[in-house]
Amino acid sequence: MNRQDLQTKITAEKAIDLYKKYKPKLCVCCGAGCISSGSEEVLKKLEGEIKTRGLENEVELIPTGCMGPCNQGPLIKCLPEYTIYQKVDCSNIKAIVQSQLIEKKPIEDLLLFADSRPKPFIDAREDPYFKKQMKIALKDCGHINPEKIEDYLVQDGYAALDKILFQMSPEDVIAEIKHSRMRGRGGAGYPTGLKWETVYKYVSNQKYVICNGDEGDPGAFMDRSVLEGNPHRVLEGMCIAAYAVGANKGYAYIRGEYPLAIKRIESAIKQAKKLGLLGNNILGTDFSFDVEVRIGAGAFVCGEETALIASIEGKRGTPKPRPPFPAESGLWGKPTLINNVETFAGIAPIINNGGEWYSEIGTPKSAGTKVFALAGKINYSGLIEVPMGTSLREIVFDIGGGIQGGGEFKAAQTGGPSGGCIPAEHLDVKMDYESLISLGSIMGSGGLIVMDKSSDMVDVARYFMEFCMDESCGKCVPCRVGTKMMHDLLQKICDSKGTKIDLERLEELAVYVKECSLCGLGASAPNPLLSTLRHFRHEYENRITE
Amino acid sequence: MAKISVNIDEKNLEVEVGKTILEVCRENGIEILTMCHLKGISDVGACRLCLVEIEGVNKLLSACTTKIAANMIIRTKTEKIKRYQRITSELFFAERNHVCSVCVANGKCDLQKLGYKTEMDHIRYPYLFPECEVDTSHPWYVLDHNRCIMCTRCVRVCAEVEGAHNWNVMNRGNKVRIISDFNTPWGESETCTSCGKCVHACPTGAIWPKAIVQGQLEKKPEMITELIEKRKMNL
Repeated sequence: MNRQDLQTKITAEKAIDLYKKYKPKLCVCCGAGCISSGSEEVLKKLEGEIKTRGLENEVELIPTGCMGPCNQGPLIKCLPEYTIYQKVDCSNIKAIVQSQLIEKKPIEDLLLFADSRPKPFIDAREDPYFKKQMKIALKDCGHINPEKIEDYLVQDGYAALDKILFQMSPEDVIAEIKHSRMRGRGGAGYPTGLKWETVYKYVSNQKYVICNGDEGDPGAFMDRSVLEGNPHRVLEGMCIAAYAVGANKGYAYIRGEYPLAIKRIESAIKQAKKLGLLGNNILGTDFSFDVEVRIGAGAFVCGEETALIASIEGKRGTPKPRPPFPAESGLWGKPTLINNVETFAGIAPIINNGGEWYSEIGTPKSAGTKVFALAGKINYSGLIEVPMGTSLREIVFDIGGGIQGGGEFKAAQTGGPSGGCIPAEHLDVKMDYESLISLGSIMGSGGLIVMDKSSDMVDVARYFMEFCMDESCGKCVPCRVGTKMMHDLLQKICDSKGTKIDLERLEELAVYVKECSLCGLGASAPNPLLSTLRHFRHEYENRITE
Repeated sequence: MAKISVNIDEKNLEVEVGKTILEVCRENGIEILTMCHLKGISDVGACRLCLVEIEGVNKLLSACTTKIAANMIIRTKTEKIKRYQRITSELFFAERNHVCSVCVANGKCDLQKLGYKTEMDHIRYPYLFPECEVDTSHPWYVLDHNRCIMCTRCVRVCAEVEGAHNWNVMNRGNKVRIISDFNTPWGESETCTSCGKCVHACPTGAIWPKAIVQGQLEKKPEMITELIEKRKMNL
């Protein structure tokens, strides 16, 4: 399909959409979270009920990606009213169809947060849960059918790709991304524009673009939800990146534990190819770009870029020392751009709305929005997207609905096993890259585990150390043996058998492993230990026997 | 070849471009400790003994994998590096079951030498005493996992010099083990040519020829380097 055919198609689809604008839509969340609480059955039942009542032409039923409050699922969102029903099961279907579609009256008892808020909102957008959020990466998640490219096209999908191909040079694209001040969402926060420019500058007849979807942090599921909710956005971002850096081949590396995400991105690739948005001569231009999916086999370390590259090459997934960086010598020794799923998901809006627009969101040093996966002892666990610089307090209490059972907040772990904890006295910390580092934690990929008073911080450190010890690839000595030693020492302290000397050894090893390890896994493995020692040292000292 | 000037341990040097920091140091008589490096085969930066401080770089880099660049100011023997080398050495000893007094490599072992070089007088960490197998299935050689330090020199020499790819690594973390083929006894290997290069590449007493006893092991890793260089000349 060339550009003109596609535009005709989009115009037609948009006309249909406009026609359907006031037609009721029932969006049923079919993200992995809601599916596990039974949303597929709800969808089936709903379909049957609509058929029995002969409402097929009156209402549109859309299976969508994640809507956010995952532990309240299965969720049904009714448009255009924006009424969300929570914890829907098959017995509620008849009532929902009857009162929402026929009587046009919401069912108060089933509204989102009906069981936890004194007065739930009929228009869910007015709920503080959504009001405090700003969705850029997740914009279309929860509204569109991720398996239908037309749904995305109607939402100006692939408009950014069209724009760069016909109006911008690769240099322009890089300048725009640099101007947006976007930083990589994988964890380290490296400036995206700068990374693209570095790859662009290396001269090579072959370059690659890799999408890192090997999300492995316990409690993190941002990338999964983006891929499940709108895989086309990620593909579009990859295409733009490939055009900017001069690559013609891409790989989407998705972890094997995400079968739904894999299925959806594979179907997205097929559909995009069919419409000429991927493959040879995209939209009739000279630019060709193809994407293949590679499935991870369960190693956490494969989220580290050099290990991920080794894994794509079919080798054992172990990291390599850097330099040389993948930008210079990556996949099969060629210049390679590797970005996280969420980074790619943020590219199209920057192109569409301009880098200036993006740079004004968030804080001066951390622009844009960040997706967080809320988990742990929080009332509304799930997926949120907030501007950078939103305080932890707002996230936990205003959006997350506070601590389960009215308990007391003790700490939040950011960045998973590579991050650290933020204690209650720092609840007002602005969630951006620098502030978190200054507290001894990291932004990481966006996992946020909330802990209440029942959590034992020494045990938390031990748990994460055990995770790193098991996931160490075993290549370098500090990580392979050091994490094992630290784990054993932590276990000893947990068992109240540790001594003062053990604590000293532990601290010495932590700094050693941090400085000497070959890759980021080892270098960040001591972080949970160091940050719990910094903020909760008394808990360690209370366990120590003289 | 173009020359660049660098400063290593307060010494100004004029060196050729394209070399690694380790090569430059060794050529100029600056000692760098290594275990996983073997001249001629590829470097992996796994043992972390050759870490050096470079001014303006906020992390320690392995000398074996980092190319030297103009005006680098490098320090190889700071107190911090010496302390870290000692910890690495202690961790090597604590990780598996290294008993020098009964080892074929006693007196000729690189790990033993490392212990002396890092002035290790105690091992402050608890010994892990993992259960390790001894594979005696090969007619001529023995693989003793108790003495293996996972430097993977055998894996690389087998793949890169002999081209047999008999050795590989399995598992993760501290459960990693060297395996022959797909984790079958060495004696049943379909790829091993019994060339013995791994025996000479191994820095400890983990791979050794049968029919020798404690302290009798003779290893010639330099033979592998010579072989690689001679092959290059023939090409």
